[in-house]
Amino acid sequence: MSDALNRTEEIVRKAKSLGADEVIAQTTFGRYRQVRFSNNEIDTTVAWNDYATDIALAWKKRVVATKIHNFEGVDAAVKRLMELAKVSKENPMFGGFAKGKFKYASPKADKKLIEIEDPQEYVFEAVEAARKEIGKDIDSGGILFTKFEDVYLASSEGPIGTDSRSAIELSIRAFAEREASGHSVECSSTLKGFKPARAGTKAGEIAKMAKNPKIGEEGVYDVIFDPLIYGSSLGVYGWMVSAFAVLIHMSVFVDKLGKKVAPEIVTLRDNPAEYSMSNRVFDDEGYPTKENVFIDHGVLKGYLHNTSTAKMFKTETTGNAGLVAPSAWNLEMDAGDMSKDELFEETKRGLYLTNTWYTRFQNYAKGDFSTIPRDGIFLVEKGEIKQSLKDLRISDNALAMLGNVAAISKERQHVHWWGEADPPSLSPYVLVKNVHITKSR
Amino acid sequence: MDEDIVDFALKYAEEKKVEYAEARGQSQIQDRLMLRNGILEAYTSAVDSGLCVRVLANGGIGFASTNKWTKEEAKEIVDLAFRYAKASGRKDKIKFEKEKGIETKWVVDQKKKIENISPEERISAFEEINKTLTTCGVKIAATMGSCNIDLISKYFVNSEGSKITSFVPKLGAFFYITVAEEGKTEQAYEQFGYSGGWEAFSQWGVAEKLVHNAKILKDVITKGKAVKAGNMDLVCGPEVTGIAAHESCGHPMEADRIVGREMSQAGRSFIYKGGPYWIGTKIGSKHATIVDDPTIEHSYGYYAYDDEGVKARRRFLYKEGIINEFLHNRESAAKLGTKSNASSRTVNYDREAIVRMANTFVLPGDMTEEELIEDVKYGVFMKSFTEWNIDDKRFNQRYVGREAYLIENGELKHPVARPIIETTTPKFWTAVDAVSKKVEFDAATCGKGDPGQGIPVFTGGPCIRLREVYVK
Repeated sequence: MSDALNRTEEIVRKAKSLGADEVIAQTTFGRYRQVRFSNNEIDTTVAWNDYATDIALAWKKRVVATKIHNFEGVDAAVKRLMELAKVSKENPMFGGFAKGKFKYASPKADKKLIEIEDPQEYVFEAVEAARKEIGKDIDSGGILFTKFEDVYLASSEGPIGTDSRSAIELSIRAFAEREASGHSVECSSTLKGFKPARAGTKAGEIAKMAKNPKIGEEGVYDVIFDPLIYGSSLGVYGWMVSAFAVLIHMSVFVDKLGKKVAPEIVTLRDNPAEYSMSNRVFDDEGYPTKENVFIDHGVLKGYLHNTSTAKMFKTETTGNAGLVAPSAWNLEMDAGDMSKDELFEETKRGLYLTNTWYTRFQNYAKGDFSTIPRDGIFLVEKGEIKQSLKDLRISDNALAMLGNVAAISKERQHVHWWGEADPPSLSPYVLVKNVHITKSR
Repeated sequence: MDEDIVDFALKYAEEKKVEYAEARGQSQIQDRLMLRNGILEAYTSAVDSGLCVRVLANGGIGFASTNKWTKEEAKEIVDLAFRYAKASGRKDKIKFEKEKGIETKWVVDQKKKIENISPEERISAFEEINKTLTTCGVKIAATMGSCNIDLISKYFVNSEGSKITSFVPKLGAFFYITVAEEGKTEQAYEQFGYSGGWEAFSQWGVAEKLVHNAKILKDVITKGKAVKAGNMDLVCGPEVTGIAAHESCGHPMEADRIVGREMSQAGRSFIYKGGPYWIGTKIGSKHATIVDDPTIEHSYGYYAYDDEGVKARRRFLYKEGIINEFLHNRESAAKLGTKSNASSRTVNYDREAIVRMANTFVLPGDMTEEELIEDVKYGVFMKSFTEWNIDDKRFNQRYVGREAYLIENGELKHPVARPIIETTTPKFWTAVDAVSKKVEFDAATCGKGDPGQGIPVFTGGPCIRLREVYVK
């Protein structure tokens, strides 16, 4: 057993000896690296070294938490936490931390991502691939991000374990003209099969097609969503299926358990699988993570839970803790039976959207929102891209759009970018009927 | 925080072949509490403390941080930052605009020290708010409230000889409420923020504001009518004026966007060299004067020196409708051949400082709010907003009203349910024909950077009147 796990367990023992009812300590040694680039050149390269232990304890249903660095000041921190618990207020809904001894899957983190030798080279590879599409007028920017975490968790309630988590992401936005851009990403948990050029090529292809855009027209369109932009939608549904979001009515899924919320072709799940950037073997309570189908053939089957929210909903935890709010790790939309090309052929007159940002709701419970597509926006007629467009906005309803999913592609891509397509997801091309599009006047 | 290690890191960096180096230690006492439907979910209290170095070498930038306070670790992060900077391989070498070194200390004072307010008192204050809200006669389906306390100590040193220590206590609160009446729901959020002590809590009038919001939402459900879409006058309350100032003036005037540094995430700007808009170009009416000012005492975006050691001052962004001055850090200033105007900010020791707003607002005029409304034959008074967004070039924006009323012949009539203005930046600011006297501020958390750096700001302004804009 490693020294770090011993020291993490020691924190738990210390808190118990001071009278805590339940304690969890989770130590993370993180190495995070990022290369940022713009105007086809590297702006800055960043390294973050993180040595942190998160400690959460409960005393008479009072839940308190703290963080220490590098195992410094453990005694004082735990003592302070107990004092805080004693003056805090009871949370009658606290259902305890996960209980039991669990066997975890072996982590498959890629140790090469502890420190890659020349991270800048991945950026150059992506930029060159985009340049091949666009030519000498290319302007591009983005990030390369790598993560390697060693995680040690101990709980007074039984769970104890270690995990290693790695990820790599390249995100590139390439411009062929001032208002003609494409954005694409390459995401993985390991270096194996990681191809930054793939992202560069797709960003370049979209940018090239996006040249000479015209201001689009308002109206109701059938819309083909690229995997990247649909990753943003999956992020919205992933948040709304958290039991916490349901409890505070920031969800269209309140009172909809067991009800049909989408057509039969829609199955959505949370699955922190090996390929995923957010691969993990246990959650923040030490409960083993697993695949959770939350929309099964259009029917809302369940919410994502930690132990406390699960008790409130009279069910089992889904391994998505969060101390307070359960959250999705990696969303997946099940593949459909059409190819991407067939999905385009289905579209007599519509739009193809590749990316979006700034999604804001006026009412989460109702689902009314708007978001602003960016990068390639295309008018599709009889399955063909006819015209590049700009300056449009989706102004619609999240539940209605889920209900209007008409076709899903076989092809899927693992996507994540910034806070816009987050958490990571496995996302297909999706055809949604009757999407309301507005523009400035 | 061990200042000796920060000094050591700078000295070690300076021994390398660098054009510029800085080291920053930051220690942040963070208290967070969150209540769901009046029940305290959890109380977290921690000290987040670490240091970072940033070097400019061979025309490239390297940045590294750690929260292990040892000299060995400090050496490791300096070595990493230096190696990264050298490896950038840039053809267009980055330069930083130079400043004179300064040694100073600045603090924000507290009338009621947050440290002296017990956790029980803080929790009780929030429980009371929830109690007031849920007994106000409106059916509240759900509430979420949070309180953030950050006591931020910084120690900044750089290769120009600067040595700046600072202490800023920040107090923030956020509420989200859902009103359910007649089988329908409406939602609203409210944010509060202050640099200073616990005295802010009573000044904010949280309970009154939330009760007001609840009643407004009920009115929207029970009495609100949609407006008939068309061209009409629109009077924006300070909250709407403020968000428009922030989104369609503050953001496009960030010079790092203008030079392309944020192109992949927060985006670029409709303002760019060789484009239709640049310094000196008309963007609005003569009534549109918008400033960004970090020096407003106790504001949420207050600072005396930015995170590159440059003294803060007011910036006139749009001046009488003319594009006047961009927001700059050292890098963008050097790129555009000007001086930094102290717009470089960061949220913690592990984040690179980038160009940010502080407190962005429209300067007042000489009319009263009533005079603005009296001269409207038909229009909408949008006092506050709910959903909003803007494209990444900061040109096409949309604001949806939360509290709004129809104006007929100079008089306020019934509530308008969710009126929308969806228009461009020049159309919005050109339509402004009158501005009221009284400026009000709202706290907000501005998002930018990768990883995201949510930074405290004020948005604000007086009421402004827009003539003949399309409202739906």
